[in-house]
Amino acid sequence: MMAEQKLGNPAVVGLAGFGLTTMVLQFHNVGWMGMGPVIWLGLIFGGLAQMIAGLQEMKTGNNFGYCAFTAYGCFWISLALLLIGNHYDLYTSSKTDVGWFLVAWTLFTAVLWIGSLRIHGALALTFTLLLIGFVLLDLAHFGYPDLTVVAGYELMATAAMAWYIMAHIIYADVFGRDILPVGKPWIS
Amino acid sequence: MKNGKAIGWLVVLAACGFVRAVAAAEADAATAEEAINNVRAAVRFLHDKGSSGFAEFNNKDGKWVWKDSYVFVFDCRRNKMLAHPLRPDLVGQPIMQITDNSGKFIFRELCKVGTEPRGGWVEYMWQKPGAGKLSRKLSYALAADISFTTGIEVGAGIYDEKLSVPELGKVLEKMSDPAKLPAL
Repeated sequence: MMAEQKLGNPAVVGLAGFGLTTMVLQFHNVGWMGMGPVIWLGLIFGGLAQMIAGLQEMKTGNNFGYCAFTAYGCFWISLALLLIGNHYDLYTSSKTDVGWFLVAWTLFTAVLWIGSLRIHGALALTFTLLLIGFVLLDLAHFGYPDLTVVAGYELMATAAMAWYIMAHIIYADVFGRDILPVGKPWIS
Repeated sequence: MKNGKAIGWLVVLAACGFVRAVAAAEADAATAEEAINNVRAAVRFLHDKGSSGFAEFNNKDGKWVWKDSYVFVFDCRRNKMLAHPLRPDLVGQPIMQITDNSGKFIFRELCKVGTEPRGGWVEYMWQKPGAGKLSRKLSYALAADISFTTGIEVGAGIYDEKLSVPELGKVLEKMSDPAKLPAL
């Protein structure tokens, strides 16, 4: 009888794509770079790779990861296509339209945020920062454009937290022990 | 006597020609109202189209160039000219160090007035399209509202020797308050 084959954790790819694409959008939001890399990474890493990772979560029985990674993968693909659509005058989305798109994602994130509080401290912090970031971007789209920069720095912290959890999983594997603690759930 | 009559007619003809030339020049000169309207239309266009709309303003044959004026787009936070239909050499270049011959930092002033709720006017010297020398220019600037970015402004100017910034401020006020618009 063959030994049971070890499986990877799809979350490492999901968190990597989520974190990196979130990070580069913030590099744009704070004014360090243009929108080009955000669109292509949004399609491939934050989008396709994160969505596939999300779909792979199904077999692990992790409903939170299944929903979150698949959904945020779709977020990035739809945001990138929305911006490409604007360039080609295909169902052009105004700033107000993008604002409502973000409001919907804020509401969705609020639902997952409650779930994250029951998982572990690092994930609860990631989702708290993500939710605040979405609210800041909503406000930036509805009357407070200067908050784009505040949201930019705040969401960089969100992206860094996603990478922290990714590193927690990878390092636990390669070092054979947990060297990056993720803390207790905020709600037990 | 005949010569005198002929000279008289010549004077009249020359005067008519001069008046027509002045009238034609005035007809070809952009007005403050047009500058405000076109800047507002450009801000609306960028609100709807996002940053992918910048390229439209680089087209010298496009709708954002009219009479002796044009709309230009600049980034006050990232210190960069984003679009200019007649000066492609300036596009992508830093703007905050640009001064006119009196040492006025043109874009610092434009960026400042552009963030006011209704935008504002700045007077400076700039090369008028087609003219070989510097002309007195008054430009209207207004902040654009674009997704995932901030600090972008739109401007357009008029070339005029007499109008003052306070006078243009009154034009802006009139065009901003429906109660002050003339009845049709």
